[in-house]
Amino acid sequence: MTLSLSPLRRLMATAALALALTAVSADAKQLTVGLTADAVHLDPQAGEELSSNIMFYHIYDPLVRRTADLEFAPGLAESWKLIDDTTWHFRLREGVKFHNGAELTPRDVVFTLERLKESLMSSLGRNIESFSEVDERTVEIKTFQPYAVLPNDLAGILILNEAHVTEVGDDEVDMNPVGTGPYRLASWTKEDRLVLEAFEDYWAGPAEIQTVVFRPITNPATRTAALLTGEVDIVQDLSVRDVARVEREADYEVITRPSLLNLVLALDFRDQSPTIPLDTNPMQDQRVREAITRAIDVEAIRTAIMNGLSTPSEQYVPASHIGYLPGASFREMYPFDLERARELMEEAGYGDGFRMTLDATNNRYVNDQEIAQALAQMLSQIGIDLELNLMPRANFFGYIRVPSDQSSFIMSGWDVPSGDAGSMYGAMFHTRDVRDAYGRVNRGAYSNPEVDALIIEADSTADVRQRHETLQKVTEILMRDIPMIPVHYEQDIYAAHDRVQFTPRTDKFLWAYEMDVAE
Amino acid sequence: MFAYAVKRLIQMLVVLWAVSIIVFLMMSFTGDPVFMVVPIDATDAEIAQARRILGLDRSLPEQYVLFLQNLVQGEFGRSYVFRQPALDLILERLPATLELVLVAMLIAAVVAIPLGVFAGANPQNPLSRLIMSGSLVGISLPGFWVGMMLIFIFAVELRLFPSSGRGATVEFLGIRTSLLTTNGWHHILLPALTLSFGTMAIILRITRAGMMEVMRQDYIKFARAKGVSRRGVLYGHGLRNGMIPVVTIFGLQLGDLIAFAVIAETIFAWPGMGKLLIDSIYRADRPVIVVYLMLVALIFVVVNFIVDILYTMIDPRITVK
Repeated sequence: MTLSLSPLRRLMATAALALALTAVSADAKQLTVGLTADAVHLDPQAGEELSSNIMFYHIYDPLVRRTADLEFAPGLAESWKLIDDTTWHFRLREGVKFHNGAELTPRDVVFTLERLKESLMSSLGRNIESFSEVDERTVEIKTFQPYAVLPNDLAGILILNEAHVTEVGDDEVDMNPVGTGPYRLASWTKEDRLVLEAFEDYWAGPAEIQTVVFRPITNPATRTAALLTGEVDIVQDLSVRDVARVEREADYEVITRPSLLNLVLALDFRDQSPTIPLDTNPMQDQRVREAITRAIDVEAIRTAIMNGLSTPSEQYVPASHIGYLPGASFREMYPFDLERARELMEEAGYGDGFRMTLDATNNRYVNDQEIAQALAQMLSQIGIDLELNLMPRANFFGYIRVPSDQSSFIMSGWDVPSGDAGSMYGAMFHTRDVRDAYGRVNRGAYSNPEVDALIIEADSTADVRQRHETLQKVTEILMRDIPMIPVHYEQDIYAAHDRVQFTPRTDKFLWAYEMDVAE
Repeated sequence: MFAYAVKRLIQMLVVLWAVSIIVFLMMSFTGDPVFMVVPIDATDAEIAQARRILGLDRSLPEQYVLFLQNLVQGEFGRSYVFRQPALDLILERLPATLELVLVAMLIAAVVAIPLGVFAGANPQNPLSRLIMSGSLVGISLPGFWVGMMLIFIFAVELRLFPSSGRGATVEFLGIRTSLLTTNGWHHILLPALTLSFGTMAIILRITRAGMMEVMRQDYIKFARAKGVSRRGVLYGHGLRNGMIPVVTIFGLQLGDLIAFAVIAETIFAWPGMGKLLIDSIYRADRPVIVVYLMLVALIFVVVNFIVDILYTMIDPRITVK
């Protein structure tokens, strides 16, 4: 766009400045955030998506806090210890106040967990068997089996105030939330603005920024415009095509960081595959799986489709996670090499290739449709005739659900905010249908007794180090077996005015308590 | 008149019933809402629990019967996502959409009718040709492009208007409106202008056509001969008779604008109900979609009823039967 309006614009800017000077009076710090969508709930047990999650962590606190870099630190629980393999004691911080003035008690924690079990979000507490109040500062939580990463799970469970929820009723919690968090709800006009104000009695000290306004601006171009006009100070998910535009502005900066969302391709291991018109399933042959991996040019996807804004995945989980194996990378084990890929197909007896269908979304992941199209083109190079079956996400997750009777090859995303590969491995790579709760998302019906045994071993120790080492062994086997091909992590892109001090979090949860604005 | 109203009411009920059936059938193809609510790795027990909580553990016909039963009792169902009554969600956002549509209609009428009268009365005038070509542009430009251009020019470059959002609101007769505050008007102008373009062009063209038709009639010549001023003829005799098709279109356009407001709402982050519909389709949130579509159908029927009544006022020769 090369409209030249600068003289007029300068005039207008002067006028606007004069206006602004008369308007600004209070010196309380305020921050306005442009989000992609409005929060749906303020009751953390009623549902979850990113915008609601962002609000939850302002208003409520978990027992265990997830830091910006995915470390796990004391939250409302100041310490915890293992009593036996499945029993944990969490000691609550003293003098923590709810927004209504009530003091935090173990009863609130027990109430929260009871309510959670009956809610739509019961999966957050699926590893918890029972819980009880031990004394006036201690809560006991028992797991079904030894579970070393219980504290990580607890970072996702936000503590409610029993008296308040009972008093206002379940439905009212959304509009009238009370937590122990650094901010309390000041006002919420749906789809327009949600205003939070700092909670003076916050146990870790009141927030620097007194007022935070969240504005849902769905259209990415409008979000950029609102940032450049100063209506918002920081935006989430800056559109890729606006990156250069914002970087040109002197007072603004673009901030990126790899997200936790790993885009993965699941391969079918069954004797016959639903969409492959052959009596056998070629993908049962490790050489074919390796050939497919080598035929996918992840770097080309990064530069040509993602505008450089993706990070090719080394493994199934990022380096910060329990179970990550340092030094091991899909990109080094199976680099893009069409020559070698064709050889492998030949060796496996599929030199002429075969036909199959890729199931993918067209509105769930960044450029998912374009990536699927690129995959079809790339795999055609080794003779695989890939048909695309693209659908909106409302249909997709029911369609590909285990037993995945219609799918051979599925593209989906997976993120593990608990920082532990175990939950992913148990759900995706353990043999299906042998143990309840394992293999629920094993869409390709991958089955390796050694992997099963190791996953169970990891889930039977309460020692994190031991769990880490066991899961690393699983990672090693998986990278050899290739039940799934990891493609890339999407990039989280933010843009902010210079006066905002902001470091993006791994879990994407913008948190004003960690931010500040210059005067 | 009374019989006519009753007939229209029955028609309306049939339309609403048809809408509810269509939406129910449609939604059975658009995916299972449960999977939008539970995590990807949910266990069977967790999914069953979610189904129970959402009332999705029954078959589709059962759900439909239940829906009708509730409807009769004035219960419109609860959103799967928001867990609130669907009607409340929509009514909460309705005032924002209505004020946007009304301002857009106002802009369209104020600009289009005088221009249409002028162009119809002076078809050979070069200015008329300019107006007509301008209206073609108005019809052809996509709303989202117009909206983005307005934001770029008036918000980002000139800093005259805010780029997005609804301004300060005040409560008036129990409804929160932004039309009674300066800040509110400041915010509404760009989105309303964006929304008005298509309608403006259509009304302009219809007014012109009506005027050209009427101006050829004998009674116009007679009025002029009788000594009525040109202005009096145009607005008193001409416009009044040329208005019938304009009023019809006005009614239809009002419905259209409510339905199409979603584009302006999305671009300008306007907190109206169109955005709610899009989000709900995205999330397979059937109760909201059903109620929304029934409400829009209701608005259409009511507006057209009012239009019919208006005919009789403009042209006494027409009566409703």
